[in-house]
Amino acid sequence: MSWQILFTAMLPEHILLAGMVVLIGLEIASLARVAFVVSVCVVTAATVAAVSLAATGYAMAPFPEQFSVAPDALLAKAIVLALAIPVLLISRDDFADAQFHILVIGSLYGVCLLLSADSFLILFLGIELMSLPVYVLVLLAFQRTQSAEAALKYLVLGGTATATLLMGAALLYGASGSLSLAAFAAALSSSDPMASVGVVLVIVAFFLKAAIAPFHTWAPDAYEGATVPVTAYMATIVKAGVLLAAVRLFGAEAVPRPMADLIALLPLASIVWGNLAAMRQQSFRRMIAYSSIAHAGYLFYAFLGDGPGRFQAVAFYVLAYGLMNVLAFASLPRAEDDTARDRLDNLKGLYQREPFAAVMIAIAMLSLAGIPPFPGFVAKFLIFRNVFAAGYTTYAVLGLIASYMGIYFYLRVIQYLFMSPEASVAQRPPYGRAVLSASFLCLLAVVAIAVFPGWVIGQF
Amino acid sequence: MADAGLLNVVLFLPLIGVASLVAVPALQDSAVRRLSLTVMVAQFLLSAWLYFHFDAAAEGLQFETRLPWIPAWGVYYQIGLDGYNVLLVLLTTFLGPLVVAGAFTAITKDVKLFYAMVFVLQFTMLGTFVAQDLFLFYLFWEAMLIPMFLIIGIWGGERRIYATLKFVLYTAFGSILMLAAVIYLVYSLNATTGITSFAFADLYRAELPLPVQTILLAAFGLSFAIKVPIVPLHTWLPDAHVEAPTAGSVVLAGVLLKMGTYGFMKLGFPLFPDATREFAPLIMALAVVSIIYGACLAWVQTDIKKIIAYSSISHLGYVMLGLISLDLIGIQGAIIQMVSHGIVAGGLFLMVGMVYERCHTRELAAYGGLAKLLPAYAVFFALLTLASIGLPTTSGFTGEFLVLLGAFNATWPQYQQGVTLPLLLSAGAVTGVVLGALYMLSFAQRFLFGPTKAPHQPVVDLNFREKAILGCIVVAIFTLGIFPAEPMSKTELAARQYQQLVASHRTGTTVALRTVEGAIVSRAEPPNLTTPTTTGSAR
Repeated sequence: MSWQILFTAMLPEHILLAGMVVLIGLEIASLARVAFVVSVCVVTAATVAAVSLAATGYAMAPFPEQFSVAPDALLAKAIVLALAIPVLLISRDDFADAQFHILVIGSLYGVCLLLSADSFLILFLGIELMSLPVYVLVLLAFQRTQSAEAALKYLVLGGTATATLLMGAALLYGASGSLSLAAFAAALSSSDPMASVGVVLVIVAFFLKAAIAPFHTWAPDAYEGATVPVTAYMATIVKAGVLLAAVRLFGAEAVPRPMADLIALLPLASIVWGNLAAMRQQSFRRMIAYSSIAHAGYLFYAFLGDGPGRFQAVAFYVLAYGLMNVLAFASLPRAEDDTARDRLDNLKGLYQREPFAAVMIAIAMLSLAGIPPFPGFVAKFLIFRNVFAAGYTTYAVLGLIASYMGIYFYLRVIQYLFMSPEASVAQRPPYGRAVLSASFLCLLAVVAIAVFPGWVIGQF
Repeated sequence: MADAGLLNVVLFLPLIGVASLVAVPALQDSAVRRLSLTVMVAQFLLSAWLYFHFDAAAEGLQFETRLPWIPAWGVYYQIGLDGYNVLLVLLTTFLGPLVVAGAFTAITKDVKLFYAMVFVLQFTMLGTFVAQDLFLFYLFWEAMLIPMFLIIGIWGGERRIYATLKFVLYTAFGSILMLAAVIYLVYSLNATTGITSFAFADLYRAELPLPVQTILLAAFGLSFAIKVPIVPLHTWLPDAHVEAPTAGSVVLAGVLLKMGTYGFMKLGFPLFPDATREFAPLIMALAVVSIIYGACLAWVQTDIKKIIAYSSISHLGYVMLGLISLDLIGIQGAIIQMVSHGIVAGGLFLMVGMVYERCHTRELAAYGGLAKLLPAYAVFFALLTLASIGLPTTSGFTGEFLVLLGAFNATWPQYQQGVTLPLLLSAGAVTGVVLGALYMLSFAQRFLFGPTKAPHQPVVDLNFREKAILGCIVVAIFTLGIFPAEPMSKTELAARQYQQLVASHRTGTTVALRTVEGAIVSRAEPPNLTTPTTTGSAR
């Protein structure tokens, strides 16, 4: 193993690590006010590194059987890192100190590790590194008691997920004598009960992390309790990381029948319940949490298909979905405090005050609802196309009908934005420049994906 | 190629309109109105040029553009004009400027957003008509909901939120099943022929077993039938029509409803011909029920907008009847009826809007003797009423007459073979004409004549702008009524193609069985269209 390979293969990770060290240094040197700029630059550099490595088709295993990179892993990292840039931008007005950025970059480091994992050891390390900072991030909004409650719930259920994952990995190790992720793919079709239980436990751990019903109950509380940038981080990056890691875990093999039913039925329940429960929420973040539960359902549907289409579908979906969420969060109007900001009523009549923001939220909602021409439609199409191709016609039709149930609550937001009279006339602070640039970045990406979906799909 | 570019210009002109509205933030409301009208008129003139340069004798697409869009899936950006859509494109662009001009005084809130949404609506409607790729078609079809949702929801009446949600949720339910059917259809095409394509021309070659065809037809058909709307899927329409602002109602009645019948003609029936013929009597019965039920409901309404809304259900029943008759004359009549209804119902909704602006009520009981109060208005209204009834020399006559003629042409041979029901249904459709005269004349009588009353007196008669709008509509009605041969010549090839497609046997493996039974000789090679020698009625 040469140092050069180690340096190149892990370049995005190294950049993040260096950035973290610099940020800690800044914190000690009381230069926290530049933390924002530094962290945006660091994440941008890591994104560029991942993209350029992927573009050259770089594939290497610096730690064989443990950690390897290939173009698709690098692309997955690039998506997650790219989504993190607008998330950092919208944090500008909420978090002025370096803590937030250190934690986010630490969590991103975990995601990158996760997306290169070849064994359960690295997978575990990645998931923990990704999640631990997020528990703290949820708590950062400690002005409110709910955030402490939310962080605790998230922590306990996250711990349960970890334990379940470890138990599953241990059983798989017992059945196959290997900790490599390939053992999981092989165990999918195994008839050994120990291997099957191991597989189920690992899948359940991922369901817990991705908030699939009935393992979803932490999500609404955690999303509501956190602040806007943290919720955006959880809804986009954590979800994208978990799902892309699941693609790495499942590989490109077709999932055989009894397991396929497991990864179809619970996600289906998730779509139905997420969409139904979202209808009656009065908190925007809680609504997005239920929406994310439904979207996790669509994402796991992608695992019914097989071959390279699976990575393509998940990668495109998390990209489109992440962009939409960040766009919506970036455009949320400010209010006297965070709780008031979170009320859906706060959106009433937004078009009259802030037409641009209202249109942005509307675009995000329509795209999340899967209405063309926005990227959410192509993403959903891609997934259901693969499900049809794999022959699961009934699941595909049921999934589509369940997705129909979601249209109403997205439209309700648009109704609030455009058709309701303004709720209060309190003076509101204007949008910051960083937040606006985040909106523009997402908007550009959304337009690009909507006009050239073929090109974007071709990249994966 | 310059010509192909022109169709793209016509399609994207509304988006340029939106861009110019967004780009100039300080635009006054009046400037916004003028700009919008200019763009719409330009669009109409360009599409009229396309119409006159449309070669009626040429097979296939004209002014075609075909660019790869999502190559991995075989999705193309493919648009073009053919006999199916050439009249509908002209109708859409004809109504565009009238809608814009009609809203000059009615819309005073969020004027810029309103015209932007009208432009987006125009763009998506035209896109639906000119798309020749199923993916693109679906994209436009679904995207159309967004501007309509906002137009009804922001500028509508009292119960606008209820009406607009009902409209969108109804339509979206059909669309989601259609999406499933689209994906399934493309996959079956791939499985049987090895082609991965969304192009209509390729999809017409899909061979599917009858049960699959039936399910897919039901999925596509549900989506289209909601849009038409066919009884019993019509309940969204009165709410949407009544609550929508005038411009919304005009576009809804004038163009949006035609999407459904166009969908049946271009996709639903020709894609699944065997299932269509199997269920033709049922579809025909639904069409006739729509004609009669719509007319009966129109008769008992007390809200003037609702009268016209229900009359739309009745009139579109004729279109469905003509399409399912599979008789050349009937199909041609259906196309003419689509255009005619677009102009007449659009005009009637504009007129209702005009009187509503003056008197702020839609209760029929509040009005009477308008012929004395508003003489010019009454003249136009009487003309539109007659066109709606289908008096000779108006466009309504051409459409309805041809449809009924076609229906009898198609059902008489069946009657001679002992199948009575289709003929009875055709006869039932004729009663719709009588009912139409009944409700429209009694409406006009109570509205225009009798003791003079109006909620707001004095009322001012039509101004120049309104007269110009209605003048355009009346000219169009009589042109189509007196010279129907010219537009019909442009659609004839398409009507024939539609007839052949629906008459073809494409049940895949089961086709051999049917050949033995029905003694219809089909060619052996599967990818080609197996067109039977018989035309006219299908069975």
